[in-house]
Amino acid sequence: MGLPTSTSDLSPEWGRCLATCLGTLGIGALLLFAIMIAVDPYDTGKFGLFGIDGVDDRDTHTATASRARDLQFDSAVIGNSTAQMLNPADLSRATGLRFVQLYLTGGSSREQLAVLDFFLRNHQRPGALVIVADPFWCAHELREPRPGDFPYWLYDNSSFAYAARLMSWPAIEHVAQRISIGLGLRKRNNPDGFFSYEDIWLPGNFRATNRPRDPAPAATAAGRDIFPEISLLDAAVKRLPGSVSVVLVVPPTFYTTVAKAGTVAAAEREACNAALRRIVAGRPHSNFINYRIENALTRDPANFADFIHYRPIIAARMAEGIAESISLGEAAKIDF
Amino acid sequence: MLFNDYPFLLGFLPIAVLLCRLADPYPYLRIWTLVVLSLAFYGYGNPPFIVLLVLSILINWFAAQAYVSTKASIVITAAIVANLAVLAVYKYLNFLIFNVGLVLGRSIPLLDIALPLGISFFTFHHIMYLVDLRKGKAPIYPLGHYALYIAFFPQALAGPLARWSQVMDQFGCRIYAPGWQREFCIGIAFIATGLFEKIFLADRIGPIIDPIYAQAQLGPVANGDAWLALSFSFKVLFDFAGYSDIAIGLGLLFGVKLPFNFNAPFRSTSIQDFWQRWHITLMLFLRDYVFNPLTNTRILPRRFFPVQYFGAMLLTMALCGLWHGASWTFVLWGILHGFALVICSLWRRYGPRLPPLLGWALTVMFVLLTGVIFRAGTLDAAWHIFQGLAVAPNLERGRHLAPIFVVPLVAFLLPASQDIIEMLTRRPRPWFAALVGFNLLALLIELGKRNVNGFAYFNF
Repeated sequence: MGLPTSTSDLSPEWGRCLATCLGTLGIGALLLFAIMIAVDPYDTGKFGLFGIDGVDDRDTHTATASRARDLQFDSAVIGNSTAQMLNPADLSRATGLRFVQLYLTGGSSREQLAVLDFFLRNHQRPGALVIVADPFWCAHELREPRPGDFPYWLYDNSSFAYAARLMSWPAIEHVAQRISIGLGLRKRNNPDGFFSYEDIWLPGNFRATNRPRDPAPAATAAGRDIFPEISLLDAAVKRLPGSVSVVLVVPPTFYTTVAKAGTVAAAEREACNAALRRIVAGRPHSNFINYRIENALTRDPANFADFIHYRPIIAARMAEGIAESISLGEAAKIDF
Repeated sequence: MLFNDYPFLLGFLPIAVLLCRLADPYPYLRIWTLVVLSLAFYGYGNPPFIVLLVLSILINWFAAQAYVSTKASIVITAAIVANLAVLAVYKYLNFLIFNVGLVLGRSIPLLDIALPLGISFFTFHHIMYLVDLRKGKAPIYPLGHYALYIAFFPQALAGPLARWSQVMDQFGCRIYAPGWQREFCIGIAFIATGLFEKIFLADRIGPIIDPIYAQAQLGPVANGDAWLALSFSFKVLFDFAGYSDIAIGLGLLFGVKLPFNFNAPFRSTSIQDFWQRWHITLMLFLRDYVFNPLTNTRILPRRFFPVQYFGAMLLTMALCGLWHGASWTFVLWGILHGFALVICSLWRRYGPRLPPLLGWALTVMFVLLTGVIFRAGTLDAAWHIFQGLAVAPNLERGRHLAPIFVVPLVAFLLPASQDIIEMLTRRPRPWFAALVGFNLLALLIELGKRNVNGFAYFNF
């Protein structure tokens, strides 16, 4: 290799250059890390010295951590965008509990379980849990989380795993947002997490997109009753005190995507419903509600933004059913 | 373990530097500390392959000892054949089985074989040494030196393909001799440059072109995106040049100057020029250990020497293609480059002199078009891309396509990274040192996303 040598090779200036380089790197990294620890960019409660309240973040995958640990709420709606239109304020008014919306846009069941776990770790005495189980839950095989898809480290119990992720551009961006909130320069997200997608998908428009993510049918008849991710949910629910209401909801879809009776798809759906129903069977103030049916509401395209995203008129009816279930459990009369 | 990931940069590397600092006063420990570190590095991803590497080192070293004792050339021949056989089994056996199946018209089940990292590179290292030993050019070395020559972690997985003569005498020397601070400054500058090339140039193009090549596997790319796929060659340039620069920088931190591997290849004005600037150490290996023996051996009558010469050129480049992977598209890519070299040689002898700008444009165009064949995986997929070039480029994604324009400009306009670093480190410049430190901090922050992309040449 032809790197040049000269009389200046032994100059003490090189030592100073090396110290400058490593010093810039080291001091810069330490300073940055100290700011991260002081500000707690994602408001997870694991760090933070300044007591800044909330985040200003539209990415539900990261913003949910802040809401899920907020002690002004004792109850949660967990799901993906098929749960988004359930207004926690409506549920709170109807039940007397204090609901927060913890939906994850495009969230898989494993990701929702991570949020559920985080919520429960931060709430010693939860009131009620509403899990909106879209077809993703009905997979017959356990899908391992794909690295990089979802910030599991944010919801992990380990502060170390969280700290190890704080040296990143998104974290720096979040620090800037949180400092701005602390200085009163910008508003934090709505604390209860409600955000209507009607702001984007205007009423009156139905788009034939977003078909339900119904999983592949089981290869064998015996395999039809195996739902690994529902089993994980079952285990999580079993760990809850009996006083916690759990309402499992299958969200409605536009009627054309509801399986016709007698088909394999209908049998698959029923098997999944049965597995979900078993989780809450006999549990006080808990219920399973299947809204994925064909009726006047689901036949009207005006009630949907697309195949799976329903409008407020349906969300309000669902909220009534959920509140009724929290009050009366399986005896609730579901009007849908 | 990847050079562009936290476990290496924040774990292995600082520990390795510290251990080598502690071992530096003790000559015997210097080499073995690096050998142990290199084996640990190699085994991090797949520990069982350490056995293969260690066996490979021991068998070849004993073969060298046996040859020196007996002077029996057959020992060297057997060792080289064994090395090539191991490479063939791991890298080409399934390819052979697949093609035999095609010839026989039936499907033969493939074997479940994992490709050990860096096997091509350490096989070539063995061959270089053994051939030179038989020629009387290379001396015999202690086991520690030989083990480090094969396994030295900065270069073990993807080069640069250093000759024994370039590195052996450096092994075991004091790292912290007077002037080490300068070597470290230059080494860190190389590492920062290499990481920059990989993370901010190569990895920016991948997400744009990968879906296009995936689409080409399924059918024609008729939406104008095919033009974007041409930028693959820039991606692979900065991926591999980045890796090579990091390796060179790491070498300097451990007292070893590795050879340069790239010299601004997209500024070449002919395909011959290009191949003297792209993957330089591989091309020197192929020249000295494949092409020269093929041309220096009397195979055809003297009057047919040009046929033998150009045939050797084609065969060398075909092997160069096959070295990149067990696929006919790689072979075709190599043959096309071989033909281009033949045409270029003939043109230089018989044709008019091309204006440099025209030579540059033809060279770049040829490299970009053949790069499609290299990347596409199948001839059908490559053809789908070429068909797509009939449609005007699709630039609707606006600023999201910025890397497609910025990265080629860097490749066309800037000199080789070693020339830039040489210019900036002729004398100590504290402002440059601070800039490198700041650049490293920015790179570490960028890596904080943890969606680390592997280096392309790990597959070869």
